[in-house]
Amino acid sequence: MSEFVSEPTRTPVQLSARNLTRHFTTRVPGRFFKEKHTVRAVDDVSLDLVAGHITAVVGESGSGKSVLARMLARIVKPTSGELYLEGQEIPINARRTLAYANKVQLVLQDPFASNNPVHRIRHSLERPLLIHGASKSDVDDLAKAALTRVSLDPPDRFLDRYPHELSGGQLQRVSIARALCVRPSVLLADEPISMLDVSVRLGILNLLKGLCDNEHLAVLYITHDIASARYIADETIVMYAGQVVERSRGTALVDEPTHPYTQLLIASVPNPADPTSQAAERTEHTTFAVADVGCRFAPRCPHVMDVCRKSDPPNFQVGEGHTSHCWLHASEPEAVVELTPPVRRREGETTKT
Amino acid sequence: MSIERLDTQTPDEVHEISQPTAVSLSTGREFVLEVSNFSVNYGTGDQMVRAVNDVSFSLRRSTVLGVAGESGSGKSTLVYAMTRLLRAPGIISGGVVNLNVTASDGAEDEILDLVTANEKELRRIRWSHVSIVLQSALSALDPVRRVGREFDEVLKTHRPDMKKAERRERAVTLLTMVGLEKDRLDRFPHELSGGQRQRIMIALALALDPELVIMDEPTTALDVVTQREIINELLDLRAQFNFAMIFITHDLSLLVELADEIVVMYAGAIVERALASELYEAPRHPYTLGLLNSFPPMSGDRRELTGIPGSPPDLSDLPVGCKFSPRCPYVMARCREEDPHLMTLKGSERSVACWLHAGDPDVRVPVELTRQVRTPNVHGGPS
Repeated sequence: MSEFVSEPTRTPVQLSARNLTRHFTTRVPGRFFKEKHTVRAVDDVSLDLVAGHITAVVGESGSGKSVLARMLARIVKPTSGELYLEGQEIPINARRTLAYANKVQLVLQDPFASNNPVHRIRHSLERPLLIHGASKSDVDDLAKAALTRVSLDPPDRFLDRYPHELSGGQLQRVSIARALCVRPSVLLADEPISMLDVSVRLGILNLLKGLCDNEHLAVLYITHDIASARYIADETIVMYAGQVVERSRGTALVDEPTHPYTQLLIASVPNPADPTSQAAERTEHTTFAVADVGCRFAPRCPHVMDVCRKSDPPNFQVGEGHTSHCWLHASEPEAVVELTPPVRRREGETTKT
Repeated sequence: MSIERLDTQTPDEVHEISQPTAVSLSTGREFVLEVSNFSVNYGTGDQMVRAVNDVSFSLRRSTVLGVAGESGSGKSTLVYAMTRLLRAPGIISGGVVNLNVTASDGAEDEILDLVTANEKELRRIRWSHVSIVLQSALSALDPVRRVGREFDEVLKTHRPDMKKAERRERAVTLLTMVGLEKDRLDRFPHELSGGQRQRIMIALALALDPELVIMDEPTTALDVVTQREIINELLDLRAQFNFAMIFITHDLSLLVELADEIVVMYAGAIVERALASELYEAPRHPYTLGLLNSFPPMSGDRRELTGIPGSPPDLSDLPVGCKFSPRCPYVMARCREEDPHLMTLKGSERSVACWLHAGDPDVRVPVELTRQVRTPNVHGGPS
């Protein structure tokens, strides 16, 4: 649980999540029978999506960032945790309501897969409008207005086209327009640029930034590209194996990374401006190694200590609005471990080593 | 074409390149591959689309050529056609692809034109002289075979006199080379992670010690950390075995780190060719400049970047004149009428296809396209 979320000084919080957790149970071949195994896809993640702010979640594949977005969109039910929309607690086990979808909208990664290929763009835009109660006489104007908001001008040129007639960048704008046409206050964008061509990515990022600044939308931007997060995000969260390992406001996270995983991530980004990045250390752990006890990054961590293998670190404050989930930032790691209660276990959870 | 105007504008244009310009074909051992006026079409008649248009380049031994471009720029089509792997409706409509085949036992090297080579000749050079690593390792590896069988089959086919134990030994050596344990040979592809599968592909490509390895977006589907590991691995292997490499990717910043020389493709044609450091520090083509500006920086102040306006071109509906003209911020009347061809810049080895650099005295070249290289030849260049 992070310490600095929901300060009273910040602008209105639209959607906030507290200790959001999702475990998936899989059955793996055991010695005689299949055994239950718990995959902790998202573990104890808290965040606030603030109007006019972009919150970026950065992580490798398998870090749980998409599951987090799906939980916030209430497509996936959390195992535990709390969800507040505009201060109102949302019952996490209830079905998602139309009113919730009206406030929180999701944009998916692949625009070619998320737009129905046999329907015109008009259909994609008008259908959510009708579902959310717009009258039939208005939908045409509303659809056009939505396309104009995402800089697809003139809208008449696009409304009667099919998805295959548009380029990837244009189609992703249509997806964003479709999400925006019901006037949500929160936009969840799950890797919106990773399937697009390099030259049109910035256009989409600038569009998100513009929507955020001009229309006070709260945006969650999920990505594996830490450079793009640095470019647009007001707050950046790095996830590893379902946990938040580091978070900061502004560009502090990239400029002064404090968690070894963030440091590894940044050293891996191709950066011709900085020739030292080529000398990034070689890690021998090629698999996505996750420890069950202690810090989850410990098997890959170059600075691993004894305490890391025994107990999961808390979040240490390393700067203004900057926390790091790493024992390196404890004043006296060995002393702290004495005070830490034994590793918490949830009901029904088994551990495989 | 002489470029006097550019020269007078930037009198201190110094490109410290000692190598002669690669114009004459078949100059002997220096080059492993020379491609000239190579064109590829998809389909015929009215439906015909030109995917690769009059491409020429040459690749020196033991160097890395980077091919950068967006989807639809023809970069993958180029290498598939070059290696004769392209299937219908793709058709090679012209050009020469000369491969310098090193003979094994002291015999004379021979030059083979891959465009006219027959199946028997192709079979001889494939894998043992030219090998390819594809983007999706999961679909390139047979899902119902253990990894070891892939190695076994290659060696059995191309080295028929090898014994079973020797083949196994070679496979283990290859796996060790790419940093994998030998027990991976008994695994199925689905049991391995994406990075491990891509390492297997690289090991397979190196199985017969080829002179040229072609990499078609080998790291695009991987996470950045894994990508970094694979790239480091590749650079080590290249230093060890001295193979030449053609590396295709859309990630220009990755290429700047990895490649000796880079060609940038747009709408099927090469728009700029330069040494990696020159291309990064002193781009000449507006598209290259736009691409470089499309990557948000990892340091410095946050400022608004614009990328490149518009959409990538539709090959079946290309504009008249320069293909980049509808998106180019420096477009001139001439660009909309005439398509510029690749011209070598005076006093350097690099070339660019842009009317701005054609030496027209009335054209003012924008300052961002006349930047100078601060540290010439960072990567040591081809040696």
